[in-house]
Amino acid sequence: MSASSRIAAVLVVALALVAGAETNESTTASTPLEQGWAAYRLSEFDRSIGFFEQAAAASPTNSEAQYQARYGLATTWCLRRPGEDRERARAIFEGILAGTPSDDLKAWVRLALARMRHLVPVGEEPDMAAVRMAYQDLIDQHPGHVAAKEAFIYKMSTLIATLKEPETRYAVACLSRYVSQPGQKEFVQPAWSLMAVGYTTLKDPQNRLLAEIRSLQTTEIDPTNPYNEFGWAYWNIATIAEFECGDFATARAYYNKLLKDYPTDIKVYATKQALKRLDEVEAKLRAEIRAQAPAAPAAPAKPARTTRSAGRAS
Amino acid sequence: MKGTWEKVKAWFPVAVVLGAFVWSAVAIVTYRQKGAPPGAKVVRFGHWQLEASVREAIDQLGKKYSELHPDVVIVQDPIPDGIYGQWASTQLMGGTAPDIMQVGALLPDSVWLSYYNRYFVPLGRSVNAVNPHNAGTALADLPLRQTYKDGMKTGYVNELQDYYSVAFSIFGCRLFYNKDLLRELTGRDEAPRTYREFLEVCRTIAAKDHPSGQKYVPIASSGYHFGMMWDPLMFDPLTFGAVRRVDFNRDGFAGNDELFVAIRTGRMQFDHPAYRAKFEVMRQVSDHFQTGWTGLGRDEAVFLFAQRKAVFIGAASWDALSLLQQARGTFEVGLMDFPIPGPDDPEFGAVAEGPCYESTGAGFRFGVTRFSKHPDIALDFLLFLASQKHNEELNKIIGWIPAIVGTQADPILAAFEPHLEGVYGALPATLGGETTVAWNQLVSSYQVGKIDFPTLAAKYTEVYREKGLTDFLEQQRDWRRGMAQAEQFLAGIRSRALAGTGDQSESQWVKYRALTAQRQVWGEVNHSRQMKLIEQGLEPAQAGPYEYSPAVLEKVKARLRAEAVPSRPAAR
Repeated sequence: MSASSRIAAVLVVALALVAGAETNESTTASTPLEQGWAAYRLSEFDRSIGFFEQAAAASPTNSEAQYQARYGLATTWCLRRPGEDRERARAIFEGILAGTPSDDLKAWVRLALARMRHLVPVGEEPDMAAVRMAYQDLIDQHPGHVAAKEAFIYKMSTLIATLKEPETRYAVACLSRYVSQPGQKEFVQPAWSLMAVGYTTLKDPQNRLLAEIRSLQTTEIDPTNPYNEFGWAYWNIATIAEFECGDFATARAYYNKLLKDYPTDIKVYATKQALKRLDEVEAKLRAEIRAQAPAAPAAPAKPARTTRSAGRAS
Repeated sequence: MKGTWEKVKAWFPVAVVLGAFVWSAVAIVTYRQKGAPPGAKVVRFGHWQLEASVREAIDQLGKKYSELHPDVVIVQDPIPDGIYGQWASTQLMGGTAPDIMQVGALLPDSVWLSYYNRYFVPLGRSVNAVNPHNAGTALADLPLRQTYKDGMKTGYVNELQDYYSVAFSIFGCRLFYNKDLLRELTGRDEAPRTYREFLEVCRTIAAKDHPSGQKYVPIASSGYHFGMMWDPLMFDPLTFGAVRRVDFNRDGFAGNDELFVAIRTGRMQFDHPAYRAKFEVMRQVSDHFQTGWTGLGRDEAVFLFAQRKAVFIGAASWDALSLLQQARGTFEVGLMDFPIPGPDDPEFGAVAEGPCYESTGAGFRFGVTRFSKHPDIALDFLLFLASQKHNEELNKIIGWIPAIVGTQADPILAAFEPHLEGVYGALPATLGGETTVAWNQLVSSYQVGKIDFPTLAAKYTEVYREKGLTDFLEQQRDWRRGMAQAEQFLAGIRSRALAGTGDQSESQWVKYRALTAQRQVWGEVNHSRQMKLIEQGLEPAQAGPYEYSPAVLEKVKARLRAEAVPSRPAAR
């Protein structure tokens, strides 16, 4: 037997031993569609493509199951790195839209296409007008859908990011209407946060402060994982209140909240310094006010009193 | 015969390879069966801590656990840290990993991240439930994560939005000193308490002759000690005051883009008193390190200390026991805090604001692998080690600091209690490749006394102004790549949400929206704001980040005036 055959034999044995090792994510998923997403999440994009193609082939033509598989396939081609094929992804997404998928899936496909316009390769600049139109198209076609709400937030972020007054005013007005809608719960916190940035551009610190507080109050908390830390948000609100708005009451409230809720936070020292500073500044300003106060006018002379004679019967 | 011999020669290498494989497979199987009675549920515990005290501690606690569960046997797989990374990788990829594995070091973070995702069991449910092994204690009703001094922060993997490890110990760094030598050379029974006392003691030591004919070394140090301990814990915190000059977004930290704007607009200088203090203290202290310390490694400094040629040495709490053991019978070891100058220091008091802030992040972390045949038992054993009573016991045997609230450490480790209120560094001096090279070169020259601080500051300012913008823009070029990576990640989270049902689905949607809001909404906004700051600087009359504008002061005054007006009683 030749040397190469012997080497091949050893390699075959070695590979046979290794092939038994499977990643656990994929063994817990049961259908090819689930396996495709499991492999995607593990960044095993070649395998995920294989599973999605298998799922698509195994599903009835133009069934929802087939569209779902193709959605997974397009997502993988679009977002895998390396090896992305944006044109192939776009063609598959558009093919889905041309068919009869569910309304829900159409929304997610439209979002994916809009995001492709927005997230261009390094070195390119997106056509922001086209990007905003794509988001608006999704919003118009699927009002109330969570993908549309996500698109709305992205569209507003592109306007806020211009840091220009007209675009910012428009975005703040839209965001304000969004958060005011009764029952609105998705993406409310980022909407308020974007408004806060907008008010910074518009040099409106009072509304900025209000927006930051509302952003904190509307933060969604995962019901199964309540690990959330807001020390940074308390500090942010307190410093805006102190230095932008002169609202020392709100500043004190949030500095104290930071000390109480996060007693080992890295900013505890700076927070205690801040509380001392508030007291010192107020004391200094009170002294200035007292020094500036006009002198009190002299009291008018009182009329003389007649007194009774001193002797009193004992 | 000749033909047979040729065949043997031809197949000999293959036979050797296969034979070696069979031998090692048999060796592994028989090793794994050792110590495990037939029918026992064996839980394997892999780690890199070869210190005798660690193995002894795990062994003893393992036996205690077996007393509670007689059918369970805990068996350690201690692996040298030099090969732990390769061992962990081959074990995980090969599907032969132990039930419990130590995680978090010896491989890049990105590799551990992918391993957590593929090979480890998420622990979120257990972390948010009570630890049954805390029954009868003050922690009985608290969820596991609230029983930790650090809230179990280090066990949480932000990328995966779940917990993947349980930690058992807290670590810190302090200054060790040879009590006997200190007394012999300076007449002192107690360690110096202030920065000035410390320098005085060092000068006294440096003047004394060692029997070898050389001088005693006040402080044994090395590049390792400087980077791990002296700089972050004593020199860098002196720069904290700079935050008030450069923190334009008021997030509490000095960003390198903010420092760049501050330097360019003249609002800040590299010879600012806070920065000067760091380098002056660095000079004053490092003058008492041994000659050539910048080129030395950790062990060389430890050798100097163990040989009684140096009085002080920086060390981490994981080194405490081994240093004490080396000194046992030879000299007594003391512990002290790094003597950072305080507000009453005559030279640096104006900028020295306090001790260094130390995070309580727990280490010595372990996860449960998906290959475990007994995942419930493996997890329960981790909870056992994380219980108040047994965590204290574990760390007492090892000589480390427990991670659980309400535990006691060895009295000698009391000095390692972290400073939970303190200051931190505010000198993000580099912006990219060119500035990093220049900075490192100039700091190295400064450390060996080739240049003084004014020269360092002046030369670096020149490079910084010339090359800083290019460096910064180079780093900014790839900001869109970050958004593409986030998009890839979020698509995976969304797929779970789309496939989820019931409460699980609601939770997954909340995770998806929270992560989208955190990671994808701000890319453009932050980039725009940073570029505006860099390109346009600040508005001319803009108040400093922690200064009040005249308008704000007027507003506060108006409120105080209104408060000062006595309210008239209501007319009858």
